[in-house]
Amino acid sequence: MLLPQLTSKAFEEKIYDNGEACLVIFSRKDCHVCKEVVPTVEELQPNYEGKFGFYYVDVEEDKPLYQSFSLKGVPQILFFKEGEYYGKLSGHVEEEQIEEKIEEIL
Amino acid sequence: MGNTYDLIIIGGGPAGLSAAIYGGRAKLKTLLINKGTIGGMADTTREIVNYPGYINVSGPELMSDFKKHAESFGAEFLKDEVVGTDFSQDMKKVTTKKKKEFFAKAVILAGGCQPRLLNIPGEKELRGSGVAYCATCDAEFFEGEDVVVVGSGDQAIEEGMFITKFARKLTVIVLHDEGILDCNKVSAEKAFQNEKMEFIWNSTIEEVLGEDNVERVRIKNLKTGSSSNLDCQGVFFFVGMIPATQFLKGSGIEMDSRGYIPVNDLMETNLSGIFAVGDNRVKYLRQVVSAAGDGATAAVAAERYIEELDAFQNNIANSDKKVLLVFFNATNTESLEFSAIMEELQQEYREDYKIVKVDMATKKNIAEKYEVKMLPTVIIFDKGEKIKELECSMDKANLKIQLI
Repeated sequence: MLLPQLTSKAFEEKIYDNGEACLVIFSRKDCHVCKEVVPTVEELQPNYEGKFGFYYVDVEEDKPLYQSFSLKGVPQILFFKEGEYYGKLSGHVEEEQIEEKIEEIL
Repeated sequence: MGNTYDLIIIGGGPAGLSAAIYGGRAKLKTLLINKGTIGGMADTTREIVNYPGYINVSGPELMSDFKKHAESFGAEFLKDEVVGTDFSQDMKKVTTKKKKEFFAKAVILAGGCQPRLLNIPGEKELRGSGVAYCATCDAEFFEGEDVVVVGSGDQAIEEGMFITKFARKLTVIVLHDEGILDCNKVSAEKAFQNEKMEFIWNSTIEEVLGEDNVERVRIKNLKTGSSSNLDCQGVFFFVGMIPATQFLKGSGIEMDSRGYIPVNDLMETNLSGIFAVGDNRVKYLRQVVSAAGDGATAAVAAERYIEELDAFQNNIANSDKKVLLVFFNATNTESLEFSAIMEELQQEYREDYKIVKVDMATKKNIAEKYEVKMLPTVIIFDKGEKIKELECSMDKANLKIQLI
């Protein structure tokens, strides 16, 4: 995993305290759709270095986090800016859809 | 050239990986391009109990063994998605999503399948918000909740039983009359004994309803035509698979109305040098063991095809002299006698001509390429180009005139 992993505590800091514009991908190790989407996200990260944060949450390790967003499945990419939730992309998404969403927020 | 191969395999499921094992072992320079995780649909299977030699193995474990096996024979792997093809030349071209181009003498299509969507209202909109397609991935999110499963095949019933480990109640929506499931008998018996599982017969789903998350589904009884709502927090769709062959539209590859590719016993498609295997082809049994068999067959057929192609290149295209390509068949006496005459003639004109004999029984690709249907047939080549076809008579003088 190339993306920095967030625990509940780090999530609070980055998203709510610092208000960083970023995305967080919720995934799990044995999910085959995640195995397709996570690398896509990883490849996008360098294009937005310093402008947009990329993080990931392992739902098996951080149950309270996905429960707090009442997520119903993985992978899900949640978008945030200034501590506010800016929507999500669910399931098998293409690179272009993620880029579009990032541009929208920036 | 770094992007040129003998064999390109599109897809990394059991069929593609088996082809890579055989291709690598035959010393073909082999590239396997795979868009997702290695193992394809088999990788999403928790338990495989019918692959010979493995009494009980998980899909990812078995597929990881397949991959190691292919790597041990030197097959190369690339993670990318093939989005375009050009099969019109001897060197077939594939283009990937990352805008790379690769060329190969033969291509094996092993792209597998993907879940079929019902395309009903709410299915797309609530995907990831209660609508799901993978129990391993998502079952846990429905702890203590009510879940609906659509379908009654192996996958629907087996995944359904897995979901009951988490869900409070699971309702299976089945098209058929009471008691009839499409899945295997062992699973059906287990399912009927599962206390958390309920069945709604003769029915299908018309709509998934809910604001931000799934709240209920609308169920239609096919016998009475009446509809009713069922409250639930999750819907898993297991309504079959469709072949992932859409990227081949316009490639000239023949497909049936559902997107499956018809092939012969050698896994050959209608285009020479292009083979289709596993869930990409029209077939009876779709299992890991039959996919592996397809991959092996296609790779061996591809190896023979490449051998012929190379032989043609070396003996005919690169020849300094003109080439007399003589087609014969050991069971056709006339064609044998005729090829003997041609050999005598070639001796007389050995400064200008060389002779290459093609047995129609084993080298059918060349015969097909030049549409040779009658025996005997002789085609004259100059620098790899067909310049004329001989008028074949047993009269030597007549033949001589045609050679000068």
